[in-house]
Amino acid sequence: MNNLTSRQRKTACVVGILVLLVPIVILGMPAGDQAEASGGVLARLRAEHDLGENDLGQIDPTSATMNLVLLGLRGVAVNMLRMDLDYYKDTKNWAELRATTDAVITLQPHYIEVWRFLSWNMAYNVSAEWDAVPDRYYWVKEGGKFSQEGTRRNADIPELYWETGRIWGQKVGRSDEWKYFRKYFLSDPNSEEFGGGVDVAVNPEQKDNYLVAKDWFTKANVAEDAKIQHIMMRALFRSYPSRSQLDYADALQREGKFDGVTVAAWQQSFNEWTQEYGKMTFKAPECVLYMEANEDDVRQMADDNKVDEQIVQRWLKHYQHTTNYRYWRSRSHSESQPETGEAHKLIYEGERLYKQGELADALPKLTRGMGLYASIIDDHPELADEDLTAEEGMWAVLLWQKILELQQKPIPDSFALKALWERHQGLLPELEERFNRLGL
Amino acid sequence: MSLQPVDFELLFGIAQWAIVFGSFVLLFLIVAMATSLPLYGAAGPGRVLAGMLRGFKEFASPSPRRVYAIASLTFKESIRKKALLVFVVFAVLFMFASWFMASPSDRPDMQVRNYVAFVFIAINMLVLPVVLLLSCWGLPEDIRIRSLHTVVTKPVRRNEVVLGRMLGFASVGTMILLIMSTVGFIWIQRQVSDNVELFCRVPVYAVAGPEGVKFLDRSGNPGTGVNVGDVIETRSFIEGGTRAAGIWTFPLDEQADTLKLESRFEAFRTFKGDMNRSIRVRYVLVNEEKSLKVPLPTFEVDEFGTNEMDVARKQTWTDEQTLEKKEVDIYDDLAVPSEDGRFGSLIVQVQCLDRAQYLGVSRGDFFIRLPDRSFTIGYIKAVIGVWLKVLIIVMSGVTASCFVKWPVATFLSFIVIIIGQVARGFLDKVLSGKQAGGGAAESVYRLLTHMNDTTALPANPLTTSIQLFDHALQHLLWMVKFIIPDLRSFGMSDWIARGFDVPWGGVMLPSIAITVGYFLPCVLLGYFSLSMRELEAK
Repeated sequence: MNNLTSRQRKTACVVGILVLLVPIVILGMPAGDQAEASGGVLARLRAEHDLGENDLGQIDPTSATMNLVLLGLRGVAVNMLRMDLDYYKDTKNWAELRATTDAVITLQPHYIEVWRFLSWNMAYNVSAEWDAVPDRYYWVKEGGKFSQEGTRRNADIPELYWETGRIWGQKVGRSDEWKYFRKYFLSDPNSEEFGGGVDVAVNPEQKDNYLVAKDWFTKANVAEDAKIQHIMMRALFRSYPSRSQLDYADALQREGKFDGVTVAAWQQSFNEWTQEYGKMTFKAPECVLYMEANEDDVRQMADDNKVDEQIVQRWLKHYQHTTNYRYWRSRSHSESQPETGEAHKLIYEGERLYKQGELADALPKLTRGMGLYASIIDDHPELADEDLTAEEGMWAVLLWQKILELQQKPIPDSFALKALWERHQGLLPELEERFNRLGL
Repeated sequence: MSLQPVDFELLFGIAQWAIVFGSFVLLFLIVAMATSLPLYGAAGPGRVLAGMLRGFKEFASPSPRRVYAIASLTFKESIRKKALLVFVVFAVLFMFASWFMASPSDRPDMQVRNYVAFVFIAINMLVLPVVLLLSCWGLPEDIRIRSLHTVVTKPVRRNEVVLGRMLGFASVGTMILLIMSTVGFIWIQRQVSDNVELFCRVPVYAVAGPEGVKFLDRSGNPGTGVNVGDVIETRSFIEGGTRAAGIWTFPLDEQADTLKLESRFEAFRTFKGDMNRSIRVRYVLVNEEKSLKVPLPTFEVDEFGTNEMDVARKQTWTDEQTLEKKEVDIYDDLAVPSEDGRFGSLIVQVQCLDRAQYLGVSRGDFFIRLPDRSFTIGYIKAVIGVWLKVLIIVMSGVTASCFVKWPVATFLSFIVIIIGQVARGFLDKVLSGKQAGGGAAESVYRLLTHMNDTTALPANPLTTSIQLFDHALQHLLWMVKFIIPDLRSFGMSDWIARGFDVPWGGVMLPSIAITVGYFLPCVLLGYFSLSMRELEAK
């Protein structure tokens, strides 16, 4: 080398660079716009195994830049940020927590558990730390929006769609503050920014929170068609869109809406539960089955699976039990009947009148409501074993007995719902405690 | 969590500095004289004293001209070393910063905090490493390429070399900091939404010490606040619907027609209660000697937000005992004579009115708010905080480079920053015994034996020797605590990010005092090290 002149050395270097460029081009040439087979070896492998950024979801240049800048220290940086995140949570520094959440996800844009944890952290943990309900709702939205962003960056991950649906459905509709949250979902408390309307980033179509959740669960199912999810049993995971429809109808009822919209919602729930979810096929260990099945269907499934009918029956029972299929089927069917709506309405009205001190008006409503309720349970005996049904019936009896006591009348030996009342005495202490806590 | 006021006593600080500095000078003298005896015999101590005297004489008459000449050469040299390339990184950072920042739909307070934090993190991360490397590389490089020979053979004293170097590097750091902070200031103004107002609150906190904030228990007797199980124990909780209260004593230094009280308490519910409203709180202005208890209007806590109340100087109130309507003057009737404020002290009780609910309070949560200052003033103070840190790093770097080579000097100065800023809290916890898991050896033992840090160590010879070893290490740490500057107060941006002016007494003054306090020891150490250093040894 020392015998070479400067020019020769430079030429050798240039030649060396050019020689090295050949394998680099062969290996690393980026893929073209069109065919998957275009590009270098690595590009083709990426396309073959869905490993490219654009296969995962929306590309985020910030993440790419940060990961490039940090070289191999991404793990260290993320660990430090996660420790900061915990510290900010402990010291209740929410602005810093929010910014650090974004920083963590910038470094780990395709780490699904991180998306799940951070969105849940904001929607469930941070929101609970705030005292004012609008503040709590703000953080629920932050968690939900964050989860939505996760689905954009990781378009084929069913878990993230499901998490988003859970926040808009369960968190908004089932938390202690559900009455306020459901109202805020349609009329955001930040009136300065949203003018009393919806936050379009969350609810662009101005729907009920459960219907928005249903859309996200439906997307989760679409994604699940292509990619396996790791949250729960498949039969449960697939039930969520229909369950959201059931929750929607139930929420209308909880809010004292007993009009045609509620009945229609229950009818749609029944149809979706039995005709869409009920006809979905699931692969049990010994056979493939669907849950909306009569004896002929069971026979047919046994033939198709080439197994004994008893095996199909056993797995069908197991799946129906796990998903609470029979209960929701009976519930949605019974609630679709006009008399069921009437029974709920009478009990609801009876309670309202009792709270207002109008005992004389409350008593006949409750008596009629209890009678109707008892006849519904007679028609659908499986409902009598369910806590929700039992609670509502027991609650009606409790109110009815209280009114009789106040009116100094004896409680008759026989009354509608007596069988339910005696059967569920175990629920009584809790209901009485609630009764007293509400100051009734 | 609210920012907590820091109490700093300048005279105590100066006395502590004098003790530590005097001890080191004395130790140095004893070691130098003891070393001189075998080398020079009985004349050794005299030679040491003569050397020291010569040094002090040189210190007494430095030449500003020569110091300036070295400083200006240092400045030029730094520019030639492409120190200003740091602006390229700075420009890139600010061009793409908005990519990394939270969305504009964030709450206004969150926006300001994030933007201010970003600007100061960027400035710190860019200025401090540059200054650190420049100041640690300068002198060793001069020695290596022997350019220092041409300087020291001129009538330039070693202390002037040290001073000139410090001044030069400090100038480079100052220039970079000035430009960056100006750009940062403009950037913040442009980034925050139009509806966000930038300003700096000027709080008057409760007086320092146990008299500042006291508690009454549920029976109304002096006691402590309740612990509701928060991980961070800064706040104590007042039980609602009882006689429990927190009592703040505020110094009154100026009179005004209206007193603005501001608080940011935490609500803790033991049951949900009425979710549609927050926990109710009231202030009671108290003068026990005159049996005055003037309740102010009840309000609902805006948790993690601010509760502001304007209190008129003249208060008309109904005596809760006699039901008579009365009028009082805050300064004439309610203020308690005390040495804390020119117009005495105002005592305010804070009560939570909802039964079985709790109100979380700390000293920093409640203050009298004086008229606001402009954001610019607070921003300048925060920049001064960074500047003081630059000076500390320059002093540390130049001093270290006088007695070790540049890699060691860089490492040493880096450690000073890490211990002074990042690990200082941990150091305090270890020394105060609050750190669970014991010292270094005990921690290793616990790790190896998978022992929880709250489990007591078994009594055996091994654990006894481990604890003895840790005890000895703690003495070393104790020295480190007094040698390495506490840089936590230098981070002043947190105050302005949360809408507060940087307090003079608890934040600015200790930072300035620490910087000034390190100047003399650093220059002396640098001078004597450079005087004794063999410049031929590269």
